[in-house]
Amino acid sequence: MSATKSLNILHLFPRLLGLNGEGGNVEILRLRSEWRGLPVVVNEYDGGAPVGFGDADLVFIGSGPVSAQLIAHPLVLAVAAELRELAADDRPFLAVGAGFQLLGQTVALENGEVLEGAGVYPVSTRHGGTRVVGDLVLESERFGTIVGFENRGSFTEVGPHATLGKVVYGRGNSETPGAEGFWEGNLLGTHMHGPILANNPLIADSLLDTARDRRSLQYGDPGSDKLHEIDERARQARGTIAASPLSE
Amino acid sequence: MGLRTSAAVLVGRAVRVAARLRGGGSAIPGNIALKIDPAFLERTIARIPKGVVAVSGSNGKSTTTNMLAAIIRAHGLKVFTNPSGGNLPQGIASALLSEVSVGGHLDADIAILEVDEGYGTRLAELLKPRTVLLLNIQIDQLNRYHEPDRVAAMLGRVAATSTEGLILNREDNFLVDMDTRIPSRPGRAVSFFGGLPELVEPAGHGVASADRFDESAAAPGSRAAAVEVVALNGARATLSIESAVLPSAPDEASRTEIEVRLPSRGLHYALDAAGAAATARSVLGEQFRPELVSEALDTLATVYGRGELLDVAGEQIEIIMMKNPASLQLNLDSLEAAPEQVFLAVDEGTPDPSWIYDIDFSALDHVDGITGSKAWQFAVRFGYLGIPVGSVDLDVRAALKAFLALPKPATGHKVMILNYEQMMLIRKILGFKELEGGGAA
Ligand SMILES: [Zn+2]
Repeated sequence: MSATKSLNILHLFPRLLGLNGEGGNVEILRLRSEWRGLPVVVNEYDGGAPVGFGDADLVFIGSGPVSAQLIAHPLVLAVAAELRELAADDRPFLAVGAGFQLLGQTVALENGEVLEGAGVYPVSTRHGGTRVVGDLVLESERFGTIVGFENRGSFTEVGPHATLGKVVYGRGNSETPGAEGFWEGNLLGTHMHGPILANNPLIADSLLDTARDRRSLQYGDPGSDKLHEIDERARQARGTIAASPLSE
Repeated sequence: MGLRTSAAVLVGRAVRVAARLRGGGSAIPGNIALKIDPAFLERTIARIPKGVVAVSGSNGKSTTTNMLAAIIRAHGLKVFTNPSGGNLPQGIASALLSEVSVGGHLDADIAILEVDEGYGTRLAELLKPRTVLLLNIQIDQLNRYHEPDRVAAMLGRVAATSTEGLILNREDNFLVDMDTRIPSRPGRAVSFFGGLPELVEPAGHGVASADRFDESAAAPGSRAAAVEVVALNGARATLSIESAVLPSAPDEASRTEIEVRLPSRGLHYALDAAGAAATARSVLGEQFRPELVSEALDTLATVYGRGELLDVAGEQIEIIMMKNPASLQLNLDSLEAAPEQVFLAVDEGTPDPSWIYDIDFSALDHVDGITGSKAWQFAVRFGYLGIPVGSVDLDVRAALKAFLALPKPATGHKVMILNYEQMMLIRKILGFKELEGGGAA
């Protein structure tokens, strides 16, 4: 494979952190690029030497149960410097749930223990409080309605930074619903579990654009009919969820 | 028996009749009875001579409870059991209402109860099971329990309440060493069920056990099984059953092989049958007769809702339940060929279908119609998979009508993949009776 003519996605800890079909995000990114004529190479990393990290054009890390998060913690710290370097070099990141937390500054567990994060995102997490499980609907200036599903027993402190969107339904980062996630520059983090990109293809395209722009990679094809049809279905899915969101 | 019990029973029964006339809400009468007499359930159950057998796990509870009840009945015992899905306290109370006398007496030798894993701890306190059968811990209803570890911890507490017998699936990542992770109890016999490695390993997606990340005291499959699936042929399986150790030759454990009929194709059904046989063996001791397992399972009607064939206007329609990712995967894997006509209906009973991105849908080559409030999310998934979708219509009745109007397939039969709520709704639309009735109206 030629590294110059394909897009490289680094998928961190697919086995440990991929509880809710989150690998779907990587599949969606790959297909959206390949169907437009730009091949994608996925590098799955589950630990060990950080081989090929420097080639990563886009980094994805998913979510998992607390037990998996605790096991992933030292593994994430072992490659923290490499990840911070990629982030500083404008490579787009998508981090979800437990993975997002571990890439932050700190994670305070319910037993009082505080885990040090990889320091990629300027956010901190506090576990505890009531668990919230249900649809999450956001309004974003860039993308309009964003829908997803949250299933979390934690709060995220993002300080003065920009977020993914304003909470219309659900809880989001804080006890009092306000905003959800973190999105500044090339770094996107959220607690929208599962394949967030499935219902929100504009976010997928935005991440791909950031990755392509850095290397001036072009799509060979402006877009396929397949993507058109899928995006129309996703629009219907967003509409259905936003019209009557539910939670436990 | 106190007035309170009588009142609870009578009011509960009246509500039950009313609820059935309206055609729904089978847990409501139990709920009301429990409000009038909160101890009704506990007290009635406590007087059953041979006590309670609790069956729990992520998947296959109804099937296995049904099998076990049939096997125990074949041995001549009177069994009280709860209908499939009625596995919360209210559901069990509702089932009791239909069988107790107004004085609160229940004519049963033993209770065999399917127990919801989320209510397991509370129900175990209430029911005080002498024997507990745990089937599996799969990535099931994560929206309710959030994490497999939590389900494992809840089932561990249920297991710890067993006084006489604990029966575990040795193929499950979490259950294979559960006996070592709970306080031991003198007099509790622990036994295992499983399948030959050559059956378990290549079986499509195996037994779809949830991943486990902490240290395990034993590898899946490594414990000796009292009942083992040794052959599988379509909807028939061969079980090898270890006889009780003979007092005359304490080291000799002889085995008997029997053939059993399963509700449908699939290793998961064979493991359910093995679990039921192992539990009957544990409960009945020397009275246990392996040949009665075959007899019971042969005559057992297909359990409602799993691999069931509905007869609609002279045409057979296969129902595949989408209860959770594991059951859907196992059911898809057991399809012999891509069905010619497929219909899918999923609603908010499946609040977060994200796991469809973990499912291998290659058993399908197209889907004719999708309905239910999650329909568009499935349509997106099939789009990325390149599986053509005929139509998406959120109006369930219209979508169903269009699907049924398709000419009879040239081979096989129409297949409907449904979540539990849509199955109930569609049965109702088609004129089938609710849960307890089974069969066609
Ligand atoms: Zn979770």
